[in-house]
Amino acid sequence: MRSPQFSSFVILVVLLVVFGVADGNFLSPLNISNMMAFLPELGIIALGMTLLLTAGEFDLSVGAVFGLAPVVVMLLAQNAGVDIGVALLAGLLLCISIGTINGVIVTKIGISSFLVTLSMLLIVRGAALYITQGFPLKSWDQPGFFVTLLAGSFNIGAFRFYTSLWWFIGLSLLAVYVLRYAKLGNWISAIGSNRNAAVARGVPADAVKIWLFIATSVLAGLAGMISAFRISAASPVAGTGYELEVIAMVVVGGTALTGGRGTILGTIVGALMLRAIRNGIVLVGVPGLAYNIFVGVIILAMLILHALLQKNAARS
Amino acid sequence: MMQEVLRLQGLQKSFGSVRALKNASLTLKEGEVVALLGDNGAGKSTLIKAISGVFPIDRGDIYVRGEKVSIRSTREAMDLGIETIHQDTSLAPDLSIARNLFLGREPVNLKWLGVFAPLDLAKLRDAASALLKRVGISKKLDADALVSTLSGGERQSIAISRAMQFAAKVIILDEPTNNLGVEETHGVLRFVKEMRDAGHSVLLITHNIHHVFEVADRIIVMRRGEIVAEQTVADTDLLTVESLITGADLSALMKRAQ
Repeated sequence: MRSPQFSSFVILVVLLVVFGVADGNFLSPLNISNMMAFLPELGIIALGMTLLLTAGEFDLSVGAVFGLAPVVVMLLAQNAGVDIGVALLAGLLLCISIGTINGVIVTKIGISSFLVTLSMLLIVRGAALYITQGFPLKSWDQPGFFVTLLAGSFNIGAFRFYTSLWWFIGLSLLAVYVLRYAKLGNWISAIGSNRNAAVARGVPADAVKIWLFIATSVLAGLAGMISAFRISAASPVAGTGYELEVIAMVVVGGTALTGGRGTILGTIVGALMLRAIRNGIVLVGVPGLAYNIFVGVIILAMLILHALLQKNAARS
Repeated sequence: MMQEVLRLQGLQKSFGSVRALKNASLTLKEGEVVALLGDNGAGKSTLIKAISGVFPIDRGDIYVRGEKVSIRSTREAMDLGIETIHQDTSLAPDLSIARNLFLGREPVNLKWLGVFAPLDLAKLRDAASALLKRVGISKKLDADALVSTLSGGERQSIAISRAMQFAAKVIILDEPTNNLGVEETHGVLRFVKEMRDAGHSVLLITHNIHHVFEVADRIIVMRRGEIVAEQTVADTDLLTVESLITGADLSALMKRAQ
């Protein structure tokens, strides 16, 4: 009952009730559909970030990768006439390369992931701005298999859902499985908890971390593609600031920023919470320009709560 | 006649211009506790890191049960039956006791899934409970408890029982009683004797000479990267050993003082 994901869950429910009571539209099908359309895009990145944080590293370049991947894919498809499938493959390879570079520099050269991925953020964002000259690309108006696969939509009653929700659910299940039930999850937690101990037991810590950096980059690219297909456009500034929002989701859910303790269920709760806060705060009439104040305060309150619970658990 | 388990011959290791290990040779027999003594910088850590596969040696040979081996990783050392328990760093505090006991050697179902294979949680818990019972700490400890909730002595016990569980031929203990209370220290020393009685060979690195006299059969002293003395505990005394460690003739000094 004292687990961090449980306390986060309680607060999520409280928030939903408060917003629901304060504004009748909050729980309307249209608004829920809206939230569910946005949720997967940051949520998918948060899954990768949770695994990475549990292993004791983090990635600030996800927002930039979210922007660059669709820009590259759509430039290839629109301007170079490359088949969209091939262009998506190129985007995937790009994300894999970015993740590999992050991971190799962090593990083999031993520079902190904060500095490495901060530099990568600038490089990747800079690349997106340069190759587009700062302008959004022409809108993508060709439906097709990949568009349906990533951003198709369907109606259930009055609700309108996107296929991205399935991606989020599927990837969440996979992440829960990996972290809690697979051998790899045991390794990830051990590496974040005490890297030397893991290495001494023969756990390939560097390889695991490099693969997690790759997974995080690929998920960021996938989220970027989903977003770009949904709005039928790629912008070089898409995803600006997402890295911090994603990290906030993860730690609000109860994953330790210092590694060793990660919870995917907590991250899902965290993703829902931040989405609900952003949406609900506007509906209840907080001025748009003030809402980051509220978001910050609520995140801080959650972190204080986790810290207090942690302290209590240590004492008992 | 006790069988030879581990033999090191002429091990050398340099870090840049520092010759950390000059020419180290030693033999470890079945069911014996050998204490490795020496001042800071004498080369004890380098020696055990070389045996446990943390880094490769520059020159020299390692034999396990008479067979020449090369140890290039911690994994290879473990597969050869050499388990090392480092001071304070052997366990992951955020994992349960059971998960720590099998870290790196997790029992899994569907092995073909590789690192994605599901842990055999039932087997993990049962084996951990059985092990805790065997080493006599089952009453106090639950296999699902997080290691972060354990005391220093309990953690050492877990690390030591993990080494015993994999039927290691050689167990290397690096300063196992550092930062432990009196009672916990005795617990660990009792454990060392149990390991010997169970037929494991133990290489014990410590600063505390009193512990050596309590549990060790043989003493090996290192100084400046070399092994300078080797004596059975029965044939030596505290002052002699201290003199060997520091390189000064303390017994002569003592005589003069009297």
